[in-house]
Amino acid sequence: MSISRSMKMAVKSILSNKARTVLTMLGIIIGIAAVMTIVSVVQGTNRRSMEMYESQGTNKIDVYAYQWNGKDISQKLYDYCLSLNELVAGVTPNMGYWGAGGSVKYMAADAANNPDYGAPQVALGSDQYSLCNNFTIAEGRDLSYLDVKMYNQVIVLGAAVKDYLFQYQNPIGQRVTLGANTFEVIGVYKAKDAGFSQGWSLDNIAVVPYTLNRMLNNSTMIESFVVKAKSKAATTEAITRLTGFLSGEIDPNMGYFNVYSQNEWMDENASATKMYSYVGGGVAGISLLVGGIGIMNIMLVTVKERTREIGIRRAIGGSRRTILVQFLLEAAVVCGVGGLFGLALGLVGTLVAGKLMLEMVLMPGVAMSAAAFAFSVALGLVFGIYPAVKAAWLQPVEALRSE
Amino acid sequence: MLIELANVYKIYNEEMENEVRALNGVSLKIDRGEFVGIIGASGSGKSTLMNILGCLDLPTYGEYYLNGRDVSELSDRKLSHVRSREVGFIFQGFNLVEALSALENVELPLVYQGVSSWRRREMAGDALERVGLLERARHKPSEMSGGQQQRVAIARAISTNPPIIMADEPTGALDTKTGKVVLEILSSIHRDGATVLLITHNNDIAAQTERLVRISDGVIIEDRDNRGAAP
Ligand SMILES: Nc1ncnc2c1ncn2[C@@H]1O[C@H](COP(=O)(O)OP(=O)(O)O)[C@@H](O)[C@H]1O
Ligand SMILES: [Mg+2]
Repeated sequence: MSISRSMKMAVKSILSNKARTVLTMLGIIIGIAAVMTIVSVVQGTNRRSMEMYESQGTNKIDVYAYQWNGKDISQKLYDYCLSLNELVAGVTPNMGYWGAGGSVKYMAADAANNPDYGAPQVALGSDQYSLCNNFTIAEGRDLSYLDVKMYNQVIVLGAAVKDYLFQYQNPIGQRVTLGANTFEVIGVYKAKDAGFSQGWSLDNIAVVPYTLNRMLNNSTMIESFVVKAKSKAATTEAITRLTGFLSGEIDPNMGYFNVYSQNEWMDENASATKMYSYVGGGVAGISLLVGGIGIMNIMLVTVKERTREIGIRRAIGGSRRTILVQFLLEAAVVCGVGGLFGLALGLVGTLVAGKLMLEMVLMPGVAMSAAAFAFSVALGLVFGIYPAVKAAWLQPVEALRSE
Repeated sequence: MLIELANVYKIYNEEMENEVRALNGVSLKIDRGEFVGIIGASGSGKSTLMNILGCLDLPTYGEYYLNGRDVSELSDRKLSHVRSREVGFIFQGFNLVEALSALENVELPLVYQGVSSWRRREMAGDALERVGLLERARHKPSEMSGGQQQRVAIARAISTNPPIIMADEPTGALDTKTGKVVLEILSSIHRDGATVLLITHNNDIAAQTERLVRISDGVIIEDRDNRGAAP
């Protein structure tokens, strides 16, 4: 007897007891849906971290050094960073200006009132700030070496700040104020479109020459730099050298330093993602196991109930093999259909979880969906074996006598 | 010789306290085209005999040759093949699959023979027509009377045109009138060329056959020509 015929027979007998079949499928449905949702959310979270990381720039090293004995190694550290030129593509101071409380004003508009992202971050950087932080110029020009050298009161706006203050007006050449100081807008960064979470954006930024530190912060001390390395390997090497340099410069009792790259954070993130996937997959796997045992249980009941039918089928020409195949297929079809329902529920679950937890449109991967379906069919085959063997090995005469 | 049993025993729980010798040394030859009645009291071993003859069961001892082939040598697949091709069973309790319609029940043996679906429909329809139930093709067994169910069961047994029909007390669950209809159908099957084995504990029914084999406590006690005996 052919598989397609057996399949039709399996479908027929499944349809003859719909309510029970659906109940039987429940474990599989929930298990598959849970696997899909958990894995999708974990992968979505990971993908978002990756995107965020990449839009901030890869191979980026944050250097922070501070001493509370008043000793200023800012220039020495800056020079050291620049001296690593075979490893490093760019260096910039990376300090904040908090004096005006994030207020960047143009006429009556104040970026601090931006309802979407709140007050922007005002950064003090060099002409390599954009290179180090993965920004590109959309309008006007970037900070120049001269701007830095000449203490020019110029400012480059992030896309979010520009949009809030100027909307569709041309901002270039306009004057904005930071507290009591006036700056000329010379350029706008291209949006990174990284609205990663509500209330915060990489585009909500404004950058001025770091040499205005004395004017704005009344200080010459630069505690924080960003170093852009040329490669992943160069990042590791630069971190080693910077750490060595700062260890020699800073007495741990008198100060503190930190050299840090997101490369490491990303590696940690990847392994954490893997672990979450395993844990989530394990939990879902257990529910699938329970579902599988449910299938086996129901199939055993079915075999018992249909003992006489099995006897009849044997009497009219069904061999052990055909009975085995029939019950195995029934289990596989029940699980396969349960798997399809599970996929549908998992799709809904993924969409809802993506919306609620990550505020993004998450879709389960095609490969994962196919694997989940195949897995549920395999589950039916595995847990269907015992009942099917039991059915196939019934003695025809005994089976016919049963009632 | 179509059927040849040589000193066949069927012993349940052998050498235990509750040993039952359902068949206790049975030898029997049946030729193609015979219409044999097997008669005996309840518990005499009639069904056991039929199950062995129909390759549903194997003897404990003794030999069974069907078409000259030793059945005890056959694998499950071969035995199933014999049941599929050579034998059509009719049982006292009808033994229809409740979930299937009359037509689907009649098609089932053809499914196991691997007959294509349109040809199956055609053959099953013919068989139902022969028992006069074509108009009930779509009905489930639960929607039919006992006599109708038994006629469906007969249609199922003859749908593959097997050379041997074995009926185990086919009228046992029916009233006299419907029983007669069923017997009439069996006679016509015989007239069409099949070898028919009719098991019964009823003398009147046994009288309809051409040869009468009487069995008691697992032994054949009488085997005679019955032609001309019917009223
Ligand atoms: N599986 C079995 N185990 C034990 N005894 C059985 C079994 N099957 C049948 N028997 C016994 O074998 C004898 C013959 O049974 P059976 O062939 O069904 O008789 P009949 O069909 O003539 O009424 C009976 O005594 C019955 O109880
Ligand atoms: Mg009996």
